Amino acid sequence: MTLILRTVTRVVLPLGFVVSFAFFLQGHNLPGGGFIAGVLTASVVALAYLAYGLDGVEHDVLNREVQTAVEHVEHVQHGIVRDYQTLYAAGLALAVVAGLVAILYGVLTGTHLTFMTQTYRSITVPLYGHVELASAVVFDLGVYAVVVGALLTVISVVGAE
Amino acid sequence: MSDPEVVTALALGVLFAAGTFLVLRRDLVRVVFGLLVLSQATNVYLVTVGGIGGVAPVVGHGEGHVTDPLVQALVLTAVVIGFATTALLLVLVYRTYQEHGTIDLDEITGAVR
Amino acid sequence: MQPTPDLWVLVALVGLPFAAAAATPAVTRAIGNLTAYYAAAVAAACFAMVVALAGTHGGAAVTWVGPLSVSVGFYVDGLATLVGALASGVGVLVFCYSAGYMRDEPGQTKYYATMLAFMGSMLGVVYAGDLVVLFCFWELTSVASFLLVGHYSETRESRYAARKAFLVTVGGGLFMLVGFVLLASAVGTYSLTAMLARPAAARSAVENAGLLLPIVTLVGIGAATKSAQLPFHVWLPDAMAAPTPVSAFLHSATMVKAGVFLLGRLRPVLIGDDWTHLLVPLGLATMLVAAILAVCASELKELLAYSTVSHLGLIVAGFGFANVVGAETGVFHLLNHATFKAALFLVAGLVTHATGTKRLDELGGLRRDLPVTAVITTVAALGMGGVPPFNGFYSKEFLYEASYEMAVHHGGLAWLYPLVAVVASVFTLVYALRFCSIFFGERPATLDVHTPARSLVLPPVVLAGAAALLGFGGIAALFGAPLDGLEGFVGSVVAATLPPDTHAHAFHYALPDHIAPAVTMSGLALAGGALCFLRWRAVRTVVRALLDGAPVLRADCWYDRLVFGANEASARVQRALWTGHLRTYAAWTFAGVLVLAGFGYAAAGLVVPLALPSLGITLSVVLLAAVVGALAAVRAPSHVAGVMALSVVGFAVTVFFVLASAPDVALTQVVVETVTFVVFLVVLDKLPSYYGRITRSRAARDAVLSVLVGALVTVTTLAATGADPDRIAGYFVEHAVPDAGGHNVVNVILVDFRGVDTMGEISVIAMAAVTVLTLIVMRERGETP
Repeated sequence: MTLILRTVTRVVLPLGFVVSFAFFLQGHNLPGGGFIAGVLTASVVALAYLAYGLDGVEHDVLNREVQTAVEHVEHVQHGIVRDYQTLYAAGLALAVVAGLVAILYGVLTGTHLTFMTQTYRSITVPLYGHVELASAVVFDLGVYAVVVGALLTVISVVGAE
Repeated sequence: MSDPEVVTALALGVLFAAGTFLVLRRDLVRVVFGLLVLSQATNVYLVTVGGIGGVAPVVGHGEGHVTDPLVQALVLTAVVIGFATTALLLVLVYRTYQEHGTIDLDEITGAVR
Repeated sequence: MQPTPDLWVLVALVGLPFAAAAATPAVTRAIGNLTAYYAAAVAAACFAMVVALAGTHGGAAVTWVGPLSVSVGFYVDGLATLVGALASGVGVLVFCYSAGYMRDEPGQTKYYATMLAFMGSMLGVVYAGDLVVLFCFWELTSVASFLLVGHYSETRESRYAARKAFLVTVGGGLFMLVGFVLLASAVGTYSLTAMLARPAAARSAVENAGLLLPIVTLVGIGAATKSAQLPFHVWLPDAMAAPTPVSAFLHSATMVKAGVFLLGRLRPVLIGDDWTHLLVPLGLATMLVAAILAVCASELKELLAYSTVSHLGLIVAGFGFANVVGAETGVFHLLNHATFKAALFLVAGLVTHATGTKRLDELGGLRRDLPVTAVITTVAALGMGGVPPFNGFYSKEFLYEASYEMAVHHGGLAWLYPLVAVVASVFTLVYALRFCSIFFGERPATLDVHTPARSLVLPPVVLAGAAALLGFGGIAALFGAPLDGLEGFVGSVVAATLPPDTHAHAFHYALPDHIAPAVTMSGLALAGGALCFLRWRAVRTVVRALLDGAPVLRADCWYDRLVFGANEASARVQRALWTGHLRTYAAWTFAGVLVLAGFGYAAAGLVVPLALPSLGITLSVVLLAAVVGALAAVRAPSHVAGVMALSVVGFAVTVFFVLASAPDVALTQVVVETVTFVVFLVVLDKLPSYYGRITRSRAARDAVLSVLVGALVTVTTLAATGADPDRIAGYFVEHAVPDAGGHNVVNVILVDFRGVDTMGEISVIAMAAVTVLTLIVMRERGETP
């Protein structure tokens, strides 16, 4: 069972990341976006946890020592949970900053934009063609980071129990 | 006037009734089940109210009546938040069990009093 | 035309006491007992600003809540100047007095900070040019009064009195707020400045809306609670638990004057028959009842408290009369009362300080030990009793004149007004002489008198001097040399309380030189009072017997019954609702939703639209699967089976989203459903496989509630899908590409159009993560075992 799962996970893991990345990028024009991509990424990592266990991911993949039993705290504190926390905190900050930029821009140009005003530019990339670049992508990235960070925090904390 | 969705209405009625019944149980896990059913049913209700007959709200994807994208955006976030809160509820149940040694609400109340 | 006031002076005037209050802790630490003079200096600065503003007239405002036409507005006229001068001027004296009275007492910081904040609030009420501003400061005075009355918070009486004063005045303030809202909705603005600039227009707007009587009643209740009119007078005697300087300040010159100030302020707009018929009986009844109660009083401050209530009744009645003399009564007595009553309160504190007792019966013959105080008291108390030529006499003359004018004009029952005024004045003279008598006659042998500090004597001397000056004005006027400045000032205050079409004459007062009806009434009252005083013990016995026979007159009972009854009732309700059972709360919530929604549907006359099923067979089957899953979850024999059944529901719903053209939602749902399943199994592994037994009766009860909820949802869904509301969806679909450059409208809404909402939603997700972390990872750090 574990062997099959691990083998499948090895194949699915990169595929899942690629798919979620694609979902994130196409989100503005086709089904997808930060929420979906985030949930998908989180679930793929969760699959890795199922296959290898929390300690395995921490130890083998990230080459970090698993800290156990820090003084009287009996819970295993995985370094990666810290990273997840950083991730959703950073995501939240990014989202706020993405909103604030509009205000700053508005003040600088005297156009009085409100919080979260977004815009986009059409640019032409050689060989690829016409691309619409939306400022909202930055905010969406924040959403993605929060979803991934928060869900993985929950999953890894619950899983560690 | 559009036609009322009779089938969906009946299905939602049963889903809500089931969810309500589960929420009223003594078993904490059942209460979580009930909340889950209720939130699923609410999502279905919202999407239904947004119109289920049209094409997907992607511009240039098809011709004709477009379903309401606003409720879909609402439901999308609700689904993700739903997961976070479900996990939170489960952790609460787990911690309750650790603290009280039971997940029977009647016993917990008795212990508190 | 007088110049308009400067906004910044007004802001400084109202703001300075608050700023000073904030700085008080630091000041007290630095200079200790001298804080009194710091506070007095602040009050003096305020007084100077009041004087500086005295020549101006009109409003100044900055916008606050534009859409509701609410502004931080101030308004200056004669009335504001008078009450503002009392608040700051008496403030100076009271703070100086506090230097002696509160010396070395604990809690000085609290005392001075609250007193200063109170003074600021009072000035805010007085100079408010906007109803909302007035209300805010009005309630602030109540809060400050709560703290001051409850200054000795360790005693039970103080706490009881503080709570009583607070509940009565704040409760009345809420009535007043409703009155203000009605007034503003009729006139179209909250701005007092605008209303007072054109009172006639404001008045006709109120009348056209048919709101005159409700507004007069509601505002009247607000004023009556603050100024302790029947039956709300109960709080004032108890409030004597406060330190004496507080009583002198709040309960003679300021806080209780806020109510009558409000009446004077709105008098030009609201005066009419309703106004007169409400306020005159109220004021005169209060005047009479409180005067009788004051005669029975056994303590110095209790006597003064009831006397204050009585005199406030006089002012209310004065403002109630529609004639010019009525306005003169109210305004002039407002001034007179502040001078003699503040002086008497300070005397009461001084006497208690010097002798250690506050009981009237234990005091007597103090004139040899406290000669200066005896003179002060004589001047002030005779003014209080309305004895010529002391100041209270003149304003009482005006009252007699106003009531007589009204009685002649209306006839019939209106003759009761002058009669009640005279009878009340009889009792007024009795208690005034009774207060005086502690300085005369034999001194009880047991009484031990200390010499009071100078700071305790000087402030009442100043106040009594002011009272004497007012009295002197009348004598001087008799000989053709009136105090022009004073009369002019009072005249400007009177003008501020008159409706615009009144033909006003210049204000003038003098000792009478011929027999007029008012003079006859004065004579009757004085003669009656003097006679009764000679036999005052008998009078007191009779009145006390009367009161014991009818305790309702004491009127504490309604307050106690209401408040303690409410306490018990809420305890009962709490026991019934707070059972600790989650299911009880859930059941009540569901039942509440049922009742509210059902009532709403019935009230709106909802017709449930019905039609033949139009849904495709595929969707129907999918929904059927979800229903089967949910029912299976209800009947599941174990938790794991329940989770299985739930995932049937979840995946059926996913398919439903796919078929309902919601691809984004479906994608999310399918992933979330999978992860949820895993998390469930992980957690359930740690939990016991307990499954609560259901008794049949409980199952039946829950089933009934559940079916009702289900039926409500069905009806709601039918109604919602059957209606064809205006949708904003079209806007998003049309603007997605041109405005946001995205084709996926759902995503565009999430990250662009409704980005702020999404911001909130991801915060919720982050919060859930933080909570889980706290519950699991940090539990060892908490206090839980």
